[in-house]
Amino acid sequence: MADNWGFVLAAYGLAAVMLLSYWRFLARRERTHTHPARPQRAGPGVSEPLAPTVSEPLAPTSGHPRSKPASRPPLQ
Amino acid sequence: MIRVVGGLALAALAAGLVMAFGVAPRETTQGNVQRIMYLHVPSVWVAYLAFAVVLVASITYLVRRLEAADRLAHASAEVGVLFTGLTIATGSIWGKPTWGTWWTWDARLTSVSILFVMYLGYLLLRGMVEDRERGARYAAVLGIVAAFNIPLVHFSVYWWRTLHQPPSLMKPGPGTMPGVIVAALLVNFAAFSLLYLYFVAKRACLLRREAEAA
Repeated sequence: MADNWGFVLAAYGLAAVMLLSYWRFLARRERTHTHPARPQRAGPGVSEPLAPTVSEPLAPTSGHPRSKPASRPPLQ
Repeated sequence: MIRVVGGLALAALAAGLVMAFGVAPRETTQGNVQRIMYLHVPSVWVAYLAFAVVLVASITYLVRRLEAADRLAHASAEVGVLFTGLTIATGSIWGKPTWGTWWTWDARLTSVSILFVMYLGYLLLRGMVEDRERGARYAAVLGIVAAFNIPLVHFSVYWWRTLHQPPSLMKPGPGTMPGVIVAALLVNFAAFSLLYLYFVAKRACLLRREAEAA
């Protein structure tokens, strides 16, 4: 019978890929738990000053209480 | 400790490769393609071992409500599914040159596929139930029920007429295999068992950390 080395290589290669993939999956999960993801800074480097950002005005919070819609007078 | 087991597993896998390709002789009827056996048979052995551990850990969880037992069952089922997948894939690759087909619905192949799907379902069930305690309880019951399939897989080659050959090693009576082939197989059994131990210990440790962080 022919030796069929191609099938032997395919079997061992597939096994190596499957086992290494699982090992990498475990290693990635372990890294996630050991070093939780830190917020990443995009844009300029550490030494450069950050550009001022324009933000939308925020809705008033507890410092500026708003009346309930039902208690407001209708618009004239 | 886990790293030591990992290192031992790596060394044993290297020794297993040397035994399979350097020491074990070329088989007379199948030729070198028979060397897939040193990968295929230890894989199914580890799958049996993994699901037996799931059975024991599931019973322990249901009786004593130990979370460690539940984590062990979860980790072992995951590794068992990996090795069952490896068994099916390597068996299919071995089947093509020896049987002339990648797949056939004979008793052994079908029962192994059912085993694979059942434990895949076990892992899906764990992910689907939101209440952790309830999910663990359901999974433990499924882990016990699914284990009944293991003897069915092993003895299927005796109970039904199949294309798959009967076991050469895990059978009663004197062995028929040459000593050097048995030795190569045993080294690979040890290597795969150590790899199983490493994967399960690492996965169970991760599951504990995840539970603590939640």
